[in-house]
Amino acid sequence: MKKIAKTKLQELWQRLSAEGALHLPVRSDRVVEFVRWQEDVSADLDALNAFLPPKKYFYPQTETVLKYQFEDTLQLTDVSSLAGEKTILFGVRPCDAAAFSLMDKVYLGEPVDEAYRRRRESTVVIALGCLEPEETCFCLAFDIDPGKAPGADLLAADTGTELVFIAQSSKGEELLAKLNGVLQEATSGDENKVKDAQERAREKYVTRVSVHGLAEKLDTFFDSVYWDRLYRRCIACGTCTYLCPTCHCFDLQEYAAGRSGERIRCWDACMFPDFTQMAGGHNPRPTQKERVRQRFMHKLNYFPRQHGGEYACVGCGRCVRQCPVHLDILEVIREMGGAVDGR
Amino acid sequence: MSTANGKIRSSAAEALAEGRVTLVLGWRKKDFWWQSPVAFVESAAEAEQLTFDPFSVYNPVKYLLEAAGCHEKVGVFVKGCDSRGINRLLQDKRLEREQVLIFGLPCSGMVDPVKIRAAFPAPKICEVARDGEELLVRLSDGQERVQTADFLLEKCLTCRHPNPVVYDRLLWERVPVRSGVDALRFARVSSVAQQQIQERYAYWTRQFSRCIRCFACRNTCPACNCRSCIFDQAEPRWLGKASDMSDTLNYQITRAFHVAGRCFECGECERICPAGIPLQELNRRLIMDIDKYFGPYEAGLAPGDLPPLGTYRGEDPAGFDES
Amino acid sequence: MAVNPLLPQVAVVTDVRRETPDVKTFRVEAADGGELFAYRPGQCAMVSLFPVGEALFSITSSPTRIGFLEFSIKETGMLTRALHEIEPGTEIGVRGPYGNGFPVEFLRGKDLLFIGGGIALAPLRSLINYCLDNRDDYGRVDIIYGARSSRDLVQREELFVNWPRLRDTAVHLTVDVRSDDWEGNVGFVPAFLEQLNPVPEGKATITCGPPVMIKFVLQSLAKMGYQPENVITTLEMKMKCGIGKCGRCNIGDKYVCRSGPVFTLAELQKLPNEY
Repeated sequence: MKKIAKTKLQELWQRLSAEGALHLPVRSDRVVEFVRWQEDVSADLDALNAFLPPKKYFYPQTETVLKYQFEDTLQLTDVSSLAGEKTILFGVRPCDAAAFSLMDKVYLGEPVDEAYRRRRESTVVIALGCLEPEETCFCLAFDIDPGKAPGADLLAADTGTELVFIAQSSKGEELLAKLNGVLQEATSGDENKVKDAQERAREKYVTRVSVHGLAEKLDTFFDSVYWDRLYRRCIACGTCTYLCPTCHCFDLQEYAAGRSGERIRCWDACMFPDFTQMAGGHNPRPTQKERVRQRFMHKLNYFPRQHGGEYACVGCGRCVRQCPVHLDILEVIREMGGAVDGR
Repeated sequence: MSTANGKIRSSAAEALAEGRVTLVLGWRKKDFWWQSPVAFVESAAEAEQLTFDPFSVYNPVKYLLEAAGCHEKVGVFVKGCDSRGINRLLQDKRLEREQVLIFGLPCSGMVDPVKIRAAFPAPKICEVARDGEELLVRLSDGQERVQTADFLLEKCLTCRHPNPVVYDRLLWERVPVRSGVDALRFARVSSVAQQQIQERYAYWTRQFSRCIRCFACRNTCPACNCRSCIFDQAEPRWLGKASDMSDTLNYQITRAFHVAGRCFECGECERICPAGIPLQELNRRLIMDIDKYFGPYEAGLAPGDLPPLGTYRGEDPAGFDES
Repeated sequence: MAVNPLLPQVAVVTDVRRETPDVKTFRVEAADGGELFAYRPGQCAMVSLFPVGEALFSITSSPTRIGFLEFSIKETGMLTRALHEIEPGTEIGVRGPYGNGFPVEFLRGKDLLFIGGGIALAPLRSLINYCLDNRDDYGRVDIIYGARSSRDLVQREELFVNWPRLRDTAVHLTVDVRSDDWEGNVGFVPAFLEQLNPVPEGKATITCGPPVMIKFVLQSLAKMGYQPENVITTLEMKMKCGIGKCGRCNIGDKYVCRSGPVFTLAELQKLPNEY
């Protein structure tokens, strides 16, 4: 266990950037965004949700899947072996860190997505514990502790004026060992401070919902009239899906240039009308009702049924905050009877 | 309960009970103090949920086209900006005036939750209500009063038409236009316009580098009312799906040009942009140019207006301006 | 070394056969002369034509016929239009096989009733030839097949010559629209099925066709007493990856590209009705 005063973080970032491409949440213009660190740039340690979740580092919005070239014959080049620059992600919140393990179920499940695996393995994730959840935070519902991030390589626990680093994997230990000159040894007093901060963060929750038994309840909910009313507000934009740390659907597209070109993979959204539109004209999800239902059913029923009961939501609250028409998963969880207390 | 809510609820309930309309679009409260989504009200009993508060910002007119497809007549509550959206639909012949019963709500501006949160630590806020010129902020440990003007949405600070421009009934007294609005209206766009072209390009490419092509700006815009959008077309695909700058500019510039002369400055595209892109600056830049080349014009003020870019006059400028 | 599961193999189109005004059958072989991959009847593959795109097609050849894959492809969109323009010798990309395929073990020893419509004979054909090539393993084979008009019947040589001459095998054809060159039955497949009224005893039925045909065929089969466990069909969904990740073919807790496209009616009845 090591620690550093928040006032000395520039030194830490300087050192970390020597170990790999360092990315951290930075406020610029009107949003907080994960960007590559440069001299004099400071991380925003207060903002909880970066505009885009850090899933973009393992599953970028656009990536090349293959290159092709017509010479004497057709040549296909796999570019996935090029993925995986040594990267350090600093300041990943516990919810976003938990989302990585959900994305892993999809992209590290058979057949393994090679580019994703390489990026995941070449990245050290330094999570940043939350001191005070926002009103749109509901990670607790998914057993995610705002002060802890067991899936991260390192946890940086925020104790107010200092960050205390706890290694949680061999990658984390290795990196921590390299930071000896910058970090101080933490004491048992610091350990207690971390525990206090973690406890306080839990207590400060205002939005308490439960998803206990929700997947089971939804087993028979597909034909409910509930969906007939819910969807009407939806304007079919991609805000909820693109901002979601667990949404993983994609499209493949061709980008041609003469006799050569590439095939790219890019994020796609089940909210878009053409998502399931077939070339012959048939669309199994013909209206926004089916699309809205798909999104919530996938997160709260289909995904848990496929992946040992785990919900495809980490309660980060981005969709709650950002949906232009206030149609979000928290509303669905609540209306399904998932509220415990809170407002 | 505020008298505003009382008037809204009784107007909706009455229209529904008398069978003049079968659906009313207004706002209701949701889980959080800053959430007032559009409500679809179909009975007098349901009208009790209707609310008009400092967060009733989303334009219900966006839902009119679909609603008018399955209801003979739809009631709709509109603020000044919203009402201009109705005129846009009437001008585009997408809607007939008889299909809507319009309740006009003079509006002294909507409140920005970001500004409220900055002033009060968010988890403690329970309710933000209007009380005359002030906002009453009810916190978990007490309450405070603040000046509404300090907490308005940026778009409302530049609003020239707070009073509905088309309606069947106005529910309360008109409100005055905020002073200094005209100076503020083009302030941001003028400062960008004064920059060198390279600086402007750098500015806009930095802004658009955050665009994730979620299409919220297009989908929320009542001026964007094409039955099918060119950007959704797959064969041929006019807009590549990769998130690269050329496609983003292709989308964003085409969108801005397409709503030029139709944009009625509701500013919703900018407000809801999850990436915080100042889209209203782009829209206003085009409005500035339209004013310059075709004479002053504000979209959606009257149903019979012909948009300057939708009509041709002999004296219209023909050349390209170098600036 | 791990491979990118989205990377196709290079293959060569060695033969293009016109079946109908808008359907062609493409024979595809590995560019290096080897086998592309082993597969089961009813499985699918992603076919890439650069630079146009990639889409999933069912493999219409039978794995009993070694050395090539065949795809019968109807012109419906941009990619299929471009595929219809290629000549033998064109290099394409192929990856697969995807999907579960037909339950050939379950079907062993049973009488088989195939019911197909239009281009959807393609997946059935793979299984029909598989069963006929392993003739002793299967009972009587009846093939009911219909198309819009006589011009739209695919795989005519097999329909009219190869299959009917085999023992215990019958082909029953129908078309929607009468024409001068057609002397057979006129009428929709479900009505034709009820008219033929094959008894359900000892039989499994495998049906593929346009959604509206499937819907009424399933109703007819139920009326005729077929049990949902013995009624097998395939689903067609838009797919981009074929490996259960892109999200398009998700129905309930299934991805059609992995758990399907072949389902029994009993399985389908447990899924949300969204296909």
